[in-house]
Amino acid sequence: MESTLAELEKSSLEEIAKASTIEELEAIRVRVAGRKGGALAEISKGMGKLVPEERARIGKLLNQAKDSVERAIEAKKKLIDNEALAKRLDSEWLDLTLPASGVKPGSLHPLTQIRYELEDLFRSMGFAVLDGPEVEDEYHNFDALNIPSDHPARDMQDTFWLDGGFLLRTHTSPVQVRGMEHYPPPLRMIAPGRVFRNESVDASHEHTFYQLEGMMIDRDVSVGHLIYFMQTLLAAVFRREVKVRLRPGFFPFVEPGFELDIGCLICNGAGCAVCKHSGWVELLPCGLVNPNVLRMSRIDPDKWSGFAFGLGLTRLVMMRYAINDIRLLQSGDLRFLNQF
Amino acid sequence: MKFSYQWIRDFVPDLDTPAKELEQLITVRTAECDGIHPAGELLRGARAARVLSAEQVPGTHITKAVVDIGDGETVTVACGAPNCREGLRTVWVPLGRKTIQGIESNGMLASAAELEIGREHEGIIAWTSVAIALKPDQVIEIDNKSLTHRPDLWGHFGMAREVAAITKQQLRDPVDLAFLPTGSDSFDVHVGDGTLCPRFSALAFENVRVAPSPYWLQYRLTSVGMKPINNIVDVTNYVAAELAQPMHAFDRDKLHGDRLLVRTAHDGEKVLALDDHEYALSAADGVVCDAAGPVSIAGIMGGMESAVSDTTTRVVFESANWNASQIRKTSARLKLRTDASMRFEKAQDPVNTLRAIARAVELMKIVCPEARPAGGFTDISESLGELPVISLDLDFLNRKLGREIPRQDVVEILDRLEFRTEQAGDRVLRVTVPSWRATKDVAVPDDLVEEVGRMVGYDTITPAPPLVECAPPPDDPKRVWLRDLRALMTGRGYTEVYNYSFLSDPEAERFGLRPADAVRVLNPIASDQNILRSSLIPGIFANLQLNRKHFDSFRLFEIGREIHNQLPAMPKEVLHLAGAVYGADGLFELKRVAESIAPGVRVEPVSDALDYEHPARTADLFLGNVNIGRLFEAHPNMIEGRAAVLDLNLDRVLRERQPLARYAPIGRFPSGAFDLSIIVPLRLHSSQIENSIREFAGTLLERVEYVGQYAGPQVPEGTKSISYRVTVGAPDRTLSSADINAVRAGLIDKLQALGYELKV
Ligand SMILES: [Zn+2]
Repeated sequence: MESTLAELEKSSLEEIAKASTIEELEAIRVRVAGRKGGALAEISKGMGKLVPEERARIGKLLNQAKDSVERAIEAKKKLIDNEALAKRLDSEWLDLTLPASGVKPGSLHPLTQIRYELEDLFRSMGFAVLDGPEVEDEYHNFDALNIPSDHPARDMQDTFWLDGGFLLRTHTSPVQVRGMEHYPPPLRMIAPGRVFRNESVDASHEHTFYQLEGMMIDRDVSVGHLIYFMQTLLAAVFRREVKVRLRPGFFPFVEPGFELDIGCLICNGAGCAVCKHSGWVELLPCGLVNPNVLRMSRIDPDKWSGFAFGLGLTRLVMMRYAINDIRLLQSGDLRFLNQF
Repeated sequence: MKFSYQWIRDFVPDLDTPAKELEQLITVRTAECDGIHPAGELLRGARAARVLSAEQVPGTHITKAVVDIGDGETVTVACGAPNCREGLRTVWVPLGRKTIQGIESNGMLASAAELEIGREHEGIIAWTSVAIALKPDQVIEIDNKSLTHRPDLWGHFGMAREVAAITKQQLRDPVDLAFLPTGSDSFDVHVGDGTLCPRFSALAFENVRVAPSPYWLQYRLTSVGMKPINNIVDVTNYVAAELAQPMHAFDRDKLHGDRLLVRTAHDGEKVLALDDHEYALSAADGVVCDAAGPVSIAGIMGGMESAVSDTTTRVVFESANWNASQIRKTSARLKLRTDASMRFEKAQDPVNTLRAIARAVELMKIVCPEARPAGGFTDISESLGELPVISLDLDFLNRKLGREIPRQDVVEILDRLEFRTEQAGDRVLRVTVPSWRATKDVAVPDDLVEEVGRMVGYDTITPAPPLVECAPPPDDPKRVWLRDLRALMTGRGYTEVYNYSFLSDPEAERFGLRPADAVRVLNPIASDQNILRSSLIPGIFANLQLNRKHFDSFRLFEIGREIHNQLPAMPKEVLHLAGAVYGADGLFELKRVAESIAPGVRVEPVSDALDYEHPARTADLFLGNVNIGRLFEAHPNMIEGRAAVLDLNLDRVLRERQPLARYAPIGRFPSGAFDLSIIVPLRLHSSQIENSIREFAGTLLERVEYVGQYAGPQVPEGTKSISYRVTVGAPDRTLSSADINAVRAGLIDKLQALGYELKV
């Protein structure tokens, strides 16, 4: 009996090792360890004839053989499962270098992007962002800015005239006037927007472009304060320290008036084609607000003073991205716009 | 405006700053320079020469000339000029050697035009003196825009004053009033309008011989871009370029009568001007007349009939001061801008008229020595008034600039610019403005801040943050919302475009825009950009057309302003968002965009689509009862392929949208749901069925969801089966199946009563 048992265990373990499916293993289990009619159960039937000592010993051997077979079956089952899973996973190979799905995000116009940057910067410095109409009247676009109708400075801004004596604003400066009309000093404001000049269009000239007007009215505002704000602004725009120079410039709404130049970012001042070999690039007009302008907006120039500047957003965008044709900005061409 | 370096040095004799450096100094202290150009380059190494022999190369126009170039040197030159002949004294320039028609030619014989010292280019120059005193010059070009406020800088002497102040050198005035002849008026002038003409000075000359000017004078005019004409005209131009005072010369013998009269023109009065063009004048223009009528358009251009010619023997010089705004208006209306009008419209100094006459007399002695004044100078003048005096508070000056400037420095700077200063109290200067800065330019203390600031240099001011309260101001909710919209659009794949504000008439017509709604541009840049856009759609269609050529599918959007005519009020600007999807199932995608921007938006299909809209795929959008936009597919006649477009009036959306006021509690008891499939006519709008379900479902309704629709073999022709899932629930209990069935049965009854068939 003992030898039959050993023989059965040995042959069962061999069969289990050879089995390759769960079904085969199950068949072995039923045949060997099945509660009814299994080979081990058959053997245990003959135990009644044995003496008690012998019965206990054989019973123990019987249990050991059953355990051994069942453990072998479980171990083999796990092995087969793992192999099957590994096979499935392998079959699920995916090429993750294929293109992403879903709609590709669009992009904001570069002028919008630079405008947002500047709005955020100026808001953090206490400037409100104001808006004004694109169609203006003569008063806000010219007269209130100290440019009466017979002033030659009107020739500096070729104007689109409209029905009814209106015009397309030639600069964002009228928003200064509207700002002063609505908000008492002290006042800090910027006004970004679309402006128009009656100029023929080529790679570097546009009749429609974008400016950001800025103004600060407070007590004792000086040229030193203006330079401070301009340096802060330009360092943020160009993401580096920028050399700044003021030189006289004539704009009737400021006195003194300046042209602000920045050290050429291409050649760092050594001279190149971009800066016409001067080391400087003209960037923005600015100045202290002309007392006449304050007076026209009913602000007392003896109590208040201020600075104003007009930043060309179009120009900034072109400088930042090295855009060589201004017309691209309003071309609506996605081959251009999708790059931003 | 062009400035000759040598000319400036006439008045700043000690000037030793090189032109290149001077250009930079002028730029940072005075006015913007546009660059430096050489003038008379060929004069470098030029030598007075004599042609020793000249023989024509047979069959060519080339002459082989042997030329004595002084210092015992002789060269052979191949010369193409017809006047190259033996014995001619001319100018030779060393331009290297080359072989021409077999001749080893060394250098060349030059014409006046080639030397840039005169106009004559037909033949080589006749040069009688033994030396050439003319030297190459450098011309500094200054941006006219930066001289708009400076009447004095429209002449070399004015610029020389700046240069002397910048370089701290002595300034020499070219004018000696002692040249003014005295005696009875040499010519009679009557000024009828003192506002138009505050001052009219004149001087007549007799015994004039018209001839070319000497080369030094022609050289000066040429180098600053003026054409030498003859000695008389050249004198007037020279004085203008030097003193900024335009002058005019009349041929005395072509004037009718014995007197010039200044008046405003009669409406329709005509003048044939020096440019051979006849100008029709109006009562807004000024004229100078003789007994027969106008002989010049005042301050702008002289008349042809009284022009100086080769046979002129008597002239009248006009040196007048004209009203700036009058000149500007006439010049703009006639579209006639001249060297004179450009100067006068900047408000010239009336003191300058006599100075110009004095200088002209001096020049006449050189260029036409035989001429003599026909009497004393004539001078008709309004009272010139006192020079303005400005009180300059030094503390004010320092506060404005943001740096301390010692009183001594302020006085010195103003002094060099010829402002007179007197002490008036401890910290105050009384500053008298010179006449040439007093016409329009300098009037208030702030103007003096600029004078001092630019001369000390703005680079000496230390940047400083202002000491002010600093908190971010409240943000404009509309601006915040627009930013969100842009983020939403780009997140969904739309790229932002900027389109122009201009449209053409045919475009407006094609897009059904009402002509009365259009704001017209009176001076359009092109005939196809003559009205302002009252819709963003034409721009979006252009974008679709362009990009269709490069992409199979794409999305784009614009946020911009429609401009609507409201005459006589200001045009109304309405903010719109226009989005477009090309080549994909765009209508429902754009509908979702509309729902995101305007929650609760209602889509109402229209039966009267416009020409550019797909007649069966167009809808109005509503929030409440307010139309907020349009959703449509482009008509295939307009754009090949499928293009869906959304147009939203953002001002209306912002006004009409209802932000959530309070939330609805979440149900505590589970809901139950059932599906309904309804057979309806094929073109019945689902919104109508959905509305019926909502209306009929009763108070237990939680939501209605569209499941799907089907049209085909299993449903009758001309109908579709449309399915909804209806979810019901109660806040206080779990509904029994009897409850749910009751709702369902009630719905089916009511829908059947409407004539719909239900698949039960
Ligand atoms: Zn450079």
